[in-house]
This record gives sequence, structure tokens and C-alpha cells, in this order.
Amino acid sequence: MQRELLEQIERGETVLEARGITKTFPGVLANDGIDFAIKAGEIHAILGENGAGKTTLMNILFGLYQPDEGQILIGGQPVQFRSPLDAIDLGIGMVHQNRKLVLAHTVIENIILGHPNAGTIMNLRRTGAEIEELCQRYGFSLDLKAKVWQLSEGEKQVVEILKALYRGAKVLILDEPTSALAPPETKKLLGSIEAMARDELAIVPFITHKLPIVLGISDRVTVLRNGRVTARLRTADVTEKSLAKEMVGREVIFRLERARVEAGAPVLRVENLNARSDKGFLALKDISFSVREGEIFGIAGISGNGQQELAEILAGLRKVEGGQVLFDESDITSSTALKRWHMGMGYIPSERVAVGSIGDFSLTENVAMNYYFDRDFCRRGLVDYGKLRRLTEELISEYDVAAPGHETKAKNLSGGNLQKLILARVLSRKPRLIIANLPTQGLDVGATEFVRNKLMEAKKEKAGILLISEDLDEVLSLSDRVAPIYEGEFMDIIPGDEVQRESVGAMMAGSRPEELQT
Amino acid sequence: MWEFLARSLEASTIFTFAGLGELIGQRSGILNVGIEGVMLFGATLGFMAAQSTESYAIGFLVAIAIGGLLGLLHGFFSITLGGDQVVSGMGIWILGFGLTTYIGMPFTGPLGLPRIPTILGVSPLFYIGVVLVVITWFVLSKTSLGLRIRSVGENPSVAEVSGVSIAKTRYLCVTVSGMLMGLAGAIYSLDYNPVWNYNFLMGWGFIALALVFFSMWNPIILLGGSLLFGTLWQLSLNPQLVLPGLLSRYIWRTVPFIITLGVLLLMSTKWFRTKWGAAKPEALGEPYEKG
Amino acid sequence: MTIGSYSVRLEKRTLLRSWEAALISILAIVLALVLFSLIFILAGINPLVAYQEIFSYAFANRFGLPLVINRFIFLLLCTSAFIIPYRAGLWNIGMTGQLYMGSLGAFGVLMALGGKESISAELNPFVLIPLMLVAAAIGGAVIGAIAGVLKGRFNINEIVVTMILNFIAYWLVAYMIKEGGAFMNPGGRGESFELPPSVYAPLLGDIPFTIFLALGLALLLYFVFAKTRLGYEIKAHGHSPAAARYSGISPLGISFLTFALGGAIAGLAGYHYFAAVPGVYKIARNYGYFGDLAFYGIICGLISQGNPLAAIPITLLFGGLSVGGRFVQGKLHMSFGVDYALLGVLMISLVAFQFFYRYRIIWTKIAKESPDVGVSG
Repeated sequence: MQRELLEQIERGETVLEARGITKTFPGVLANDGIDFAIKAGEIHAILGENGAGKTTLMNILFGLYQPDEGQILIGGQPVQFRSPLDAIDLGIGMVHQNRKLVLAHTVIENIILGHPNAGTIMNLRRTGAEIEELCQRYGFSLDLKAKVWQLSEGEKQVVEILKALYRGAKVLILDEPTSALAPPETKKLLGSIEAMARDELAIVPFITHKLPIVLGISDRVTVLRNGRVTARLRTADVTEKSLAKEMVGREVIFRLERARVEAGAPVLRVENLNARSDKGFLALKDISFSVREGEIFGIAGISGNGQQELAEILAGLRKVEGGQVLFDESDITSSTALKRWHMGMGYIPSERVAVGSIGDFSLTENVAMNYYFDRDFCRRGLVDYGKLRRLTEELISEYDVAAPGHETKAKNLSGGNLQKLILARVLSRKPRLIIANLPTQGLDVGATEFVRNKLMEAKKEKAGILLISEDLDEVLSLSDRVAPIYEGEFMDIIPGDEVQRESVGAMMAGSRPEELQT
Repeated sequence: MWEFLARSLEASTIFTFAGLGELIGQRSGILNVGIEGVMLFGATLGFMAAQSTESYAIGFLVAIAIGGLLGLLHGFFSITLGGDQVVSGMGIWILGFGLTTYIGMPFTGPLGLPRIPTILGVSPLFYIGVVLVVITWFVLSKTSLGLRIRSVGENPSVAEVSGVSIAKTRYLCVTVSGMLMGLAGAIYSLDYNPVWNYNFLMGWGFIALALVFFSMWNPIILLGGSLLFGTLWQLSLNPQLVLPGLLSRYIWRTVPFIITLGVLLLMSTKWFRTKWGAAKPEALGEPYEKG
Repeated sequence: MTIGSYSVRLEKRTLLRSWEAALISILAIVLALVLFSLIFILAGINPLVAYQEIFSYAFANRFGLPLVINRFIFLLLCTSAFIIPYRAGLWNIGMTGQLYMGSLGAFGVLMALGGKESISAELNPFVLIPLMLVAAAIGGAVIGAIAGVLKGRFNINEIVVTMILNFIAYWLVAYMIKEGGAFMNPGGRGESFELPPSVYAPLLGDIPFTIFLALGLALLLYFVFAKTRLGYEIKAHGHSPAAARYSGISPLGISFLTFALGGAIAGLAGYHYFAAVPGVYKIARNYGYFGDLAFYGIICGLISQGNPLAAIPITLLFGGLSVGGRFVQGKLHMSFGVDYALLGVLMISLVAFQFFYRYRIIWTKIAKESPDVGVSG
């Protein structure tokens, strides 16, 4: 019934409008009177930091939340979404950052799940043909019979886009569409987005960084800060710097001053490391490198190229297929994780909630995770909780962790504060080798700055640091040596002074250094 | 010898029904470790009803009804209340074990009804079981309903944004699941061994649970597993057929259980593990919370 | 949802204070008692009369009280055996099999040292009783450890494994005490040989010394969880095996250790009932009944929420209820299995109350001036 609303909209007319959207959560005013409108055939980006209200607005537009005040209009008619189902029926499609796909099923099965026209007995051939047609139209290439877990990040995103399109979406909301993509895949995606816009679909990408993307394809930009719209701009009128300023409200420093420290002997040496991933294929192929005292060795790459496996091997959480790991020249290849903590290795895991902390434990008990075995805190089998409490309080204040007290449960901390606690816990042991796996992922600008500074401090105290990050700028600004990783191999190992941003980016996507010497 | 095989098939029928029930529930993401409890209720109430009314049909219907009811109960705890599914399942088992001991006591003894007529020497329920297995396989892999069920079991949040009602799908599965388990219990007490005694199921519900894991959630493999175990069980009751006089009959009774353990161990080998890990419904046992 | 002039809402808890947890457990028990009275009503008996009989027999009668204490010791040991793996996030429902193996261990040692020869054999209790205790603990620990290793090393579901081991152990005991088995009583009554009086467990009045064992273990467990490194490792693994592994805690180690310790304690429960309780002193013909009683350990463990000290009053209460229930069953001519029915009813009540551990009910009074806005549930 309401579908016809969308059928009649032509290029240039407003297809989706939000007026005065306000939404409050306990203690937080997430969206404050937001107005926003998008026309058919337009690409309109919404920009904002974490905590600016982007996610809330996105979820409201998609029907996951209901606004406390304000209206949503489609084709000029006010509508109400009781659930995402209503939004889908009205032609709003969403492509999520954390892929909402059933990994074990095939591409086709994911696309037709819950589709009203699926029929009682699935007609996979007809559906397949229809989807192929969509692929042709927008330049997607995909094996429809493949299981989704086998696809790359970019391909998974295409599946979600196809799913929305197959259900007749006329407005596509994209959540951080390029954050998990390598540069060549990004280019392809942007091409498809432009094709869809030419076909009179309206595209709304929601973006935190990757400002160049915004500049690349959008027609207009709306900036959110602290829950309000602070700027409505035409992309033609802005630059990367002016956009960043709008987002943050102040001049943003893109490059950190890299501290100059005399690097010493290698703390960590890895020789010819080979390892398998959980799915059985070879995740690391003959990796060799070393990390010296007082040095930050940065591994730059898109997640899924072997970094997680490498971090786990070094931390003692995964077995190797072949090769050696040497810590201060002694072979620890088969040493337990506990032994490595004793020897002076510290691991900051990428999954702070699932691995790095225990939600139901108090902050003191969380700090105990890296201290329960420490001879100073545990004598004759008895844990000195009093001493641990005092340590926790010191750490909370030194690292500025916002929490009522050491008895607070870790699950009540925000992401940034939890990461600070984990950092405090690991760094306070003064480890000689620090493995930092995606240490600033999901953190806002303030927390990110804090974490990077702490790593710099540790480096000045002669620790060796292995930094794994997806954020190219972060790796480049912090590292003394950079190794781009692709499909389990180090493409090259480049000293910090000689690094060129474009070539590192290309190597992360698979280009060999020889190919780049033009 | 034929008698032995026929009885093996009849024993396997019980594993098939109970296992199929659990498989359907598990594919939708609900784990029920209390299969034995549902079976005990179905067996006991079915027995009581059949004996009192002298009607097999009523006995089976009562068993199916009580099984469905227990399935709904488990569903209520697991889906609506979002509780720990293991606790709920164990609750149903102990409830079954405790209550049926008490209410069934006056009925201890033989059923006293003429046996259900056989087809080709085997109970008709065996054939029904095979048909149900095929139907289940077809529904799960070829229909939209099946896709919805599987998606709910793999990744409920995805299913939800695609327009599938998690609650409805899971309730449907868990109720059908309970009905099949109740029926399995009644098959035991009305057809396979029509004598009531307290706790007479002797662990079959737990073997059925192990079978579901072993089957990698594939109904056809489940059928194969049931046939194997039915035969094993008959063997343990009649060891003289294969190895006369070798061991005490008590030791023979442990054989099906030891083999179950062996099978579980086999499943943990690397080869099996990667296939099994891939087949396991991702969201099995986890309560779903919206948004 | 609106009730009267209040709006009622469910909210997920962020904090569960200990008095709140205790209150929920108490309410669960009360609900179970209410449900249990239905059993009496259906049998045509006034529940209040029934309960009065139960409690007076259990706690105020000179025959009933020792029975209750002995059962309390048994249940406390089984509950402690459940609690150790429970705190590690593991389900030990194998107390039945573990106590069977424990009793086989104890009687095995006894037989090896001449206890089967003659009932009047003069054996040194100071040597034999500790040996029997150790053997019982080892027997239970070994069968427990099988489940622990299969879970820790191969990630095989411990519920299935412990249940299967229960059945295997059941038949093993049958093999040993019936029809020509090694432990068979010379009189051939389908039970084991009898314990010579020289190695009867020392008594305090009518109560064997095992009461100190049970209470002592409960206190020790509490201490272990509160203060020791082992306790921390177990708790960490129980909350998050992945985070615990990251911290250097071995999943296999925890699984093995908790099941072995739990099994050992359950093994002691076997020693208690078959070698320490006056009037039994053998592996009884109806040993399966005691095995079934072990399942109370699960319920008591859940109600006490894994707190070994809380388990003490709870197991005492259920000891009283199950013994009193048995008595009342006979006295009021009810069907057999009243204590089984109690077991079942308790469990369901407990499961229902699990819900309240995670959610709170919020009552807000609706202001009279504004229209009756029912807050949607």
C-alpha cells in the first residue's frame, strides 16, 4: 500500500525526511532535534564521531528504535516504524557494519530469508536469476552458491546490499561502508554506489572517518556533533580539514609526534612462522621479523590477513605449524601463556570484552587477571586482595578510568574506560614486549589519543611494542618500522622515515613492492 | 535372528523420534537436555491413559499432548524468560524423573493390552519414523520455513531484521520437539516394552542427546545413528546371540553407553571437529535478546 | 502492564545484592513447598497436617532426627561435589556415578585387607578407615576426572558424559555385588558383604564422624573460593573461559581439577552412606535409591547459587523434607516416591526463579492526575 509512495518519486524529489528527531536514553540525550532530508538519486553522507548520535539516528531511520519526538516522512507522508520490518516494507534498506548475515548459509539463502515472495518451497533457480540481474545492473560479481563465511568483507557487504535491493529498497543506509575494505574493493563499491544513485536510489552513508570517501562520492554532507546537526554542506564546498574541524569542533592533529628513541637489542624474534587459521587454511606464511627494545613495530593491514593469528601465537594462545618464536633469544615457541606473562610479555587483546576482561568481575578482580600469579600478590596459594585493591585504585586514578570505585563491575564501563583499564593492567607490569592488537578500535578521539600516548611512553621506557592496527594513519604516525601484511605475508618491512602512505595502502591490498617501483 | 533385528529396529524407532525432536529444537537454537524427562512423562502418562481407557490411540495422543506441553514450558523459560536453557532442561528432567516415579507407582507392571499389530514383523511406528525423518529433512533444507528455522538457530538477530519472528519460530520448533519426545516415550512403554517401572527409560534420553550431536544435525545421519544404537541396545540385552557366555550380563548393559562415549570421542577428532563445528547451529543454547 | 494504580515493568538487573539473591532463593523454596502441598491435596491429605508431621518427625523425633542428620551429611557432600565444577561453569551431574565408584573403592580396599573374610575380623580402624576414605575419594575422583578431561581436552558436553558414566557405574556396582560378583555378600542377597564391626565409623551419639568431614569441606571450599589462587582461577574460568585462558589459566587444568575434586567429594558421600551410617554398613540392595538422592545435590547447589556455606542450611532443610516425606508417605498411606516428587517440584520452582536472578520488577505509582497511561511491557 505505502509502496506506491516511493514508486512515484522522481529524481530530485525528497524521498526520505526526518524532522526534529529527538531521542533520549537514560542519562544521555542521543539525538536532539535532528532535521535531515535526502532526495532520490542523491548520495548524502552523515558524518560524526563516536558518540555524536550517528548510530542512534541510523537505528531510528531503520526502525530499530522509535524517536521520542519528531517525525519521519517518506515521499512527503509521515510514517511510523514499529520495527525494522516496517522500514523494509517501505523501501528503506540498511547495510550494517557488523554484517547481519548468516555465515553458514549460501548467498542466495541469505538474500531470500524472510522475503514475502519466497514461496513455501524455495525456488532457488528463479531467485538466482533475478539476483544475477541486479548484479549486472550495478556491477557486482558474486558466486551466488558460495557460503557467506567464505567471502571477503567486501563481498559480504555486497550480499547485504543485494538483500536490501531484492526487497525493493529505494533508500539505502550504509553503516561505515568502507571501514573494512581494502582500497581496490573500496573503489569497486564506490562505483556501484554511483550506479545505484544513477538509478534513482538514495544512498546515505554514515561515516566516522575515511573522510576522503565522503569527499569522493557524496553530493551533500550533514555533520553531527553531540546529538545535533552542526553543519549542512555541499561536498563541493568542503575540504578534508574543514570537515574534520566540523566533526570535532577543534583543529584535529592528524599526525602524532613520533618520539625518537635509540632502539636496542631485539626483544622478540620470529623466524619462518607458519600457522593455520581456525578454518584450516594457512593464515601465516613464512613470517620473519624482529622487534627491538624501544621500538614500535607496526603491522598495517585489513583484519583477516593473519594479524589475529599472529597476535595469538605470540601471546601463547595458538599453536604454530612451523617456525620459531624467540623472546630475548630463548625459544618460547611452545611456552604457555602463563610463562610468557612471567617472562615479561604483555598482550593487549583486540576483543576487550570477550577476552581482555571479565564483565561480571569487579575492577579489582579484572586487574587480578594479570596479577594473580605474581609473587608479590600471591603467596603460598593465597591471593592478597587488599594489595590488589590498592593497586587498582592507583591504576584507576593514574589512567583516568571513569568508574565509581574498584568494586564496579567491568561490564558497566564504557569501551574507552575498559580499554584504559586493560592498558593500565598490562602496562603496569612494565613488560619488555607489548603486543597491542587493535588497541584503539571503537574508541573515541579522546580515548584513542590517550592510548597512543601511553604506548609512546612505554616505548620511551625501552619496551618493544608490536602494534597491529587497521588504521593506516595510526600505524604510520606511531611506528618506527612498518610491515604491511596481506594474506599472511609481510609485503615489506619499511623504516618509518621512508614510508609512503600510498604504497603502504597498496601493499595492504596485495600489491608487491616490486610492482610499485615505477 | 530376525526377531533380534526386528526388535533392534523397534528400539531404534524410539531413538529416532526422540532424537528428531531434539534436532528440530536445536536447529532453531534451543537446547533441551531434559529429553529423558519429557520421554518419562510421555511414557508414564501414555501408559496410564492407555491402560485406563484400553485404547492405544488415546495413550499415544496423551503422550503427544503432554510432550507438547512440556516443550512449551521449556520454550517459555528459554524464549520468553530468556533463562539458562541447560537449567530449564535439567529441571524438566528431574521433574519428570521425580514426578513420574510418584504418579506411576500404582501402575507398576504390564500394560495388559494386546500388542500393536506389526507390518513385516516390525512395528508400524518404525515406518512412520522413517517417513518423519524424510519429511523433516525436506522441510529443513528445501522450504522457506526450514530456512527460517535454520537462520533463527544460526543468527537470530539477522533473522529478525529479515522479518522472521524469533519467538514464533522457536516456539513452533520446541513444541513439535516436545511432541516427538513424548511420543518416543510412549513408544517405549506401549510398544517396545509395555511394562511400567520407575525410571525405566534407563538413560535413553541422554543417548538421544548424544545422537543429535553425533548426527551433525542432519536427520538422515540421525536415522543411521538410531539404527546403530537400537541394534547395540538389543545386543546388550541378548549378548548370547553374538558372544555367548563371555561377560556378565551387567557388563553387557554398559556396552551401549561405552560405545556412546567412544562415538563422542571420535567426534572430537580434528576431521570431525571442523565438519561438526561448521554444522552446529551458531546460536544454540543462547537466549535471544532484542536489539 | 498496569495493576491497579501501579504500573509494573520488567528491567534487566545490573546488580544483584546478596540479600536479594537470598530472598529469591527463599521464595523459590516457599513456592516449591506450596507446589508440593498439591501432592498432598491430590492424595486427600491436608498439607498443613502433612507438613507438621514432616517437620516434627524430621527435627523433633529421636528416630527421625539422626536419619535427617545422616541424610544432611550425604546431601552436603553431594552439593559440594556439584558446586566446585559449577563455579567453573561446568555441570557435574555425575555425583551418582562418583559415589558408586567411591563405595566400590572403599569396599575394594576393605576386601583387599581382609575385610571380606569374616564379619568378626579384627581390623585396625585407624589404618583402615583412612584408607577407605582415600580409596573412596580416589574412586570418585577418577570417574569424575574422565568427564573433566573429555570436556577440557575435547570439549565434549559434560552433561551427556557424566550421565552416561552414571549408568556405567550403576551397572558396574551391580556386577560387583550381585550374582557372583567379587563383593557379593556370602548370603547372596544381591548386596555387598558386610562391614566388620571393627571398622565401623566412629560415632558421636548416632552420628558418624563424617559430619565433621562434610562441614569441614564446606568451610574449606568457601575459603578456597574467597581467598586462594585456585579459587580465583576457577571463578575466572567460570565467568569467561576465553578471558581466563588469556590470563594463563588452563581450561583443561580447571576442567580436570574441578571434576576430580568434585568426584572425590562425591566418592566420600558413597563411603558415608555405605560404610558410616549405622544400620547400613554395606552396599545396599537398593543402592540405586541413594544414587538418585544425589540429584538433590544439583538443586541444593543451584539454590545456594554456588555458595558452599549457604549449602549448609539448605541441605539440612532438604534432608529433613526428604526423610520426613518418606515417613509421611508411609504413615499417611501415600504412594511410593513422595521424596522423588518433592525433588521434581523443587527443580521446577527453582528454574522458574532463575528468571528473577536476571530481572527486577519495577513498581511505579501512576500519578492520579494524568490519564491512566499503561506503560507497555
